[in-house]
Amino acid sequence: MDLLSQFILDEYSESLPQMEKLRDIVVRMLSNAIEQNGIEVTTVSARVKTKDSLRGKLAIKGGKYHSLSDITDIVGVRVITFYTDDVDRIAAMAEQIFDIDWQNSVDKRRLHQLDSFGYNSLHYICRLPSSVYKDAQYPLLNNIPFELQIRTTLQHAWAAINHDNGYKSGVEIPREYMRQMNRLAGMLELADDEFSRIRTDINDYRRRVKQLLQNGKLDDLQLDGETYRSYLEAKPFDKLNKRIAAINQAEIQQVPLSEYLPILRALGCKTIGDVGRMVKEYEEPAYRLARHQLGTTDLDIISSSLGLQNVCIACLLKQGAGKIGLKRLYEALNGENDQNDALAEMTYSQAAAISLV
Amino acid sequence: MKTTIEQNGNQYIARFSGRLDTAAAVQTTEDIRPLLQVANGEIVLDCAELEYISSSGLRIFLTIRKEAATHNSKVIVRNIAADIRQVFVMTGFISLFEIQ
Repeated sequence: MDLLSQFILDEYSESLPQMEKLRDIVVRMLSNAIEQNGIEVTTVSARVKTKDSLRGKLAIKGGKYHSLSDITDIVGVRVITFYTDDVDRIAAMAEQIFDIDWQNSVDKRRLHQLDSFGYNSLHYICRLPSSVYKDAQYPLLNNIPFELQIRTTLQHAWAAINHDNGYKSGVEIPREYMRQMNRLAGMLELADDEFSRIRTDINDYRRRVKQLLQNGKLDDLQLDGETYRSYLEAKPFDKLNKRIAAINQAEIQQVPLSEYLPILRALGCKTIGDVGRMVKEYEEPAYRLARHQLGTTDLDIISSSLGLQNVCIACLLKQGAGKIGLKRLYEALNGENDQNDALAEMTYSQAAAISLV
Repeated sequence: MKTTIEQNGNQYIARFSGRLDTAAAVQTTEDIRPLLQVANGEIVLDCAELEYISSSGLRIFLTIRKEAATHNSKVIVRNIAADIRQVFVMTGFISLFEIQ
């Protein structure tokens, strides 16, 4: 090993605590920014290159470096995202927080020729500005460069496997296999774009659903998980639940209503408008059933699903589903059970007592 | 009212015996306290000998369920008598618990 390389290694040993401190600060700042912007990522990870690894690098490319600061990836931070759009959003955040060395930064995604595919990742060489963080105990903190890599999960998988197959072993892999790897890179690029497009489409659909709900166009909304969830945000069963709660001055416990979506479909609701009409039509018998059941008890706690549950019971009985229909309802709500027959029988008798059947 | 808790690995079985009414709720709340710390486990509420449940009893079951969800645990209500199951229906909590 030449003298200059030895000098760089000594510099590394002296600077190690500062580099470790820098690694931790950068991870913390990036993680906070990502969380504050509501972006979900797979990982934010970081490492300081080991002395052995640096020694290896110097042995291969030693003549290229004159001091430790010439090596820009000793501190490395990597963010792996789910979506390709988020790579750009996180890059924009990094530009806000850190000083970017544009001369040495590279967006590998834009380096490819029109007809070539391969490694895709955004690499920024950054420094931590003293205006953002300063610590007198670590005076080099703002001078040490670090490399920030931002890529998607698929890009990361490709890079890791490619690295494992070829680059790491130090032997260039045969052209035939290289072509196969690059073919996969093209496919993963397409998959990344598709994931982003699907996310955008889903968000557009959600906005459209909200708008139609706000405008009261409930018949234009097909009953599905998204429209049902948005509909529930308006608490459409609150009035009925409060009326039922008043029977015993009961407290209403909020519970999820997702189990009722397949039941509403089975009852013939095709649109949110159908659900609204069903609730309106069976609100009164649903209340009367609750009054009959709870009125003679001292139960002073009910769930926020009770109104909808009784609406479904009233609707089922009106449709002539009888005890079998009630049994199916309890199976849907609570799974198959020997006691569902008895429960259906009991509910049927109570409904009969108030002329629901 | 008597409550016993048995642990088998990460499964906790709470056996309720008697009437879980307002008077019994204070002691039962104390008795079930260890269940509120169970993380990544399964909590079985065995009601084979439970004769009655009031609103206070329901609140205890709801607290167990809420804490279990926070600690990534699962709650199963087992061997429940028909009239107590009817209480779960009348109050709308039938869909909230896994009742076996």
